[in-house]
Amino acid sequence: MTTNPMHQFTVHRIGPEIKIAGVDLSFTNASLFMLLSALTICGILFLGTREKKLVPDKLQLISEMIYNFIAKMISDTAGTKAKPYFPFIFSLFMFVLFCNMLGMLPYSFTVTSHIIVTLLMAIFIFIAVTIIGFLKHGFGYLKLFVPSGVPMVLLPLITIIEIISYLSRPVSLSVRLFANMMAGHTMLKVFGGFVISLGMLGGWLPLGFSVALTGLEILVAFLQAYVFAILTCIYLNDALNLHH
Amino acid sequence: MPDEDFKTRLKIAKDKLKNFKKITNNNQNSSFIGGAFKLGTELVSAVLVGTIIGFILDTWFGTKPWLIIVFFFLGSAAGILNVIKAAKRMQEKN
Repeated sequence: MTTNPMHQFTVHRIGPEIKIAGVDLSFTNASLFMLLSALTICGILFLGTREKKLVPDKLQLISEMIYNFIAKMISDTAGTKAKPYFPFIFSLFMFVLFCNMLGMLPYSFTVTSHIIVTLLMAIFIFIAVTIIGFLKHGFGYLKLFVPSGVPMVLLPLITIIEIISYLSRPVSLSVRLFANMMAGHTMLKVFGGFVISLGMLGGWLPLGFSVALTGLEILVAFLQAYVFAILTCIYLNDALNLHH
Repeated sequence: MPDEDFKTRLKIAKDKLKNFKKITNNNQNSSFIGGAFKLGTELVSAVLVGTIIGFILDTWFGTKPWLIIVFFFLGSAAGILNVIKAAKRMQEKN
């Protein structure tokens, strides 16, 4: 058994190697867990909405609760104009949540602990929001970078700062999710290693920590999915309702 | 007396509701942890982006150390701006 805490993050190939035009497209454990989380989401939602009972059973209750939760979040943060983007934000939240939660199972792989996954999602959101902003407001969207009530002397400086602040959005969005997931899982593994190496005599304390950390990690897994979705809503709000 | 009976029942129900509200408030506190995580990364990411922009511009114009220094400070300012914006948003919510 390996005790290297970073070993859990290695991506390895499952099945045959597939190479198309020099690009490695093999099926990996990362792809497996993305597929698993997508299938779990589809399964829960299909089964939950199969028969629409007046008194819901557990699965229907869960699906309805998640639906209400996301619908409320969107209308609270981005207003009614953001209604058409509900399916996107719903899928985004569910995907991140289930990737995080499946990663909490022993022997599983956490897809969101890889920056390439989170950065790709964040860059997609960033580009989509920018395009939506320009489509809705034309060049008026550039007003986002020019706050009102600033003296002319400071205006170029403030504009550059605002642009940097805007460009930092995908970075902060992706780094937050990735760093939280990776740090949490590394910590769990390190404490798990302590339990083994300290044995029956001293292993009880790190075991207790491990149990507590698992609870904390489940909270973080939910919270980070929530933060990811709510920040997408906030960026969408900036693009849809331009006011400074 | 049925009226008295109703009043005591109402009181018990109201107390229960108060307790329930306390619990839900505690739940809201846990979302402040998310807010705290958020502020840290907002600051760091802007500094990072600023420095990277400075580095790229430096290699374009061949003014090696200067633009990276300028954009590091601009990035820091943008980071602080990010944090102020996020904090304002958190205050609006309450």
